[in-house]
Amino acid sequence: MKFFENIYTYDYSFPAVSLAYFLRYPNPYSRHVLTTDVIDRYVDPNTHRLHTTRIHLKKSKVPSGILKLLPKGIGGSDSSGQSYILETTIVDVKEGWMESESRNMEWTGILSVVEKQHYQRQPMEGALQKLEGLSLDDKRNEQTTVKTTVTFRSRFGQGKLLGRRKTEGEYEEEAPKRGFFTSLSTAGIQRTIELIGLNRTRDAILKSKQGMNVVLERLRSGGIVGVLEGMREDREAIVLGGEGPWKRVWMRGHASDDENN
Amino acid sequence: MAASIAPECNDIKEKYDTCFLKWYSEKYLRGNTTSNECEDLFAKYKTCLTKTLKERGIDNMLEEARKSTPETDAEYNRRT
Repeated sequence: MKFFENIYTYDYSFPAVSLAYFLRYPNPYSRHVLTTDVIDRYVDPNTHRLHTTRIHLKKSKVPSGILKLLPKGIGGSDSSGQSYILETTIVDVKEGWMESESRNMEWTGILSVVEKQHYQRQPMEGALQKLEGLSLDDKRNEQTTVKTTVTFRSRFGQGKLLGRRKTEGEYEEEAPKRGFFTSLSTAGIQRTIELIGLNRTRDAILKSKQGMNVVLERLRSGGIVGVLEGMREDREAIVLGGEGPWKRVWMRGHASDDENN
Repeated sequence: MAASIAPECNDIKEKYDTCFLKWYSEKYLRGNTTSNECEDLFAKYKTCLTKTLKERGIDNMLEEARKSTPETDAEYNRRT
């Protein structure tokens, strides 16, 4: 098992950040997210917490480093280049926090990635703030911290290679490809797969924060309407396949954030 | 708004999403947590999705995911 942990602070109020979270796709950094659907949503009558379950369809290829470790025919031919992500969130508006959990729904035997985030209104200490403090608009002095924890776990070689797919009897687990990797133990292969996942995640987490900041800035300057207009432009940019005007504008103002793009 | 996995549900999804955003920002975030004025739209949207979720096997995946990670408010409260 491998872990990744990160703490980040948004210079926006908790209501704005939680709204941006539900509104974050599409954004200029989310070209790989194809669709988003709400599967379940309710307010718990006792706690008044809002529970949401969503499914995102994302473009993703099994990393070539992992492919090399897998038996022939697995991950390669079947891989449609898309994967489902299950996202559950709980918002407690009175206490000013939101918890989210995202996990991959397929290939969980090869690598299960679970991302947990805890968003917390600042300051954390003290009693409940008055509801007047929950305005969406520019409470520029209000901040929201998010703690992100990602867990990587490979069960490769433990007879649970393909998660649900194996139960359908489509594949049988075989020995890994011969060659360099035969020198690795099962535990070694698991560690390698987990490390590849970890490296990809660092980049993904950065992009997701950049995306959130774009949405938050749109929210601040134009409200929900501003976010929706921005989304329209993002969708057009995807259709055109170009980089779109957002990127030039964004890079001019945020050159320092943009070094990885 | 983000597209739906089922293209035929995009219209109803957009209506529901718009309703939710309005409710979330104007009611829920301001402490009015009891109303649920988007329920009818959500029911229609869910009905529209059902076929695609079955076809793609997502309903089964959901079932399995739920079994492996039971999380309720009660458990959450115990943890914190």
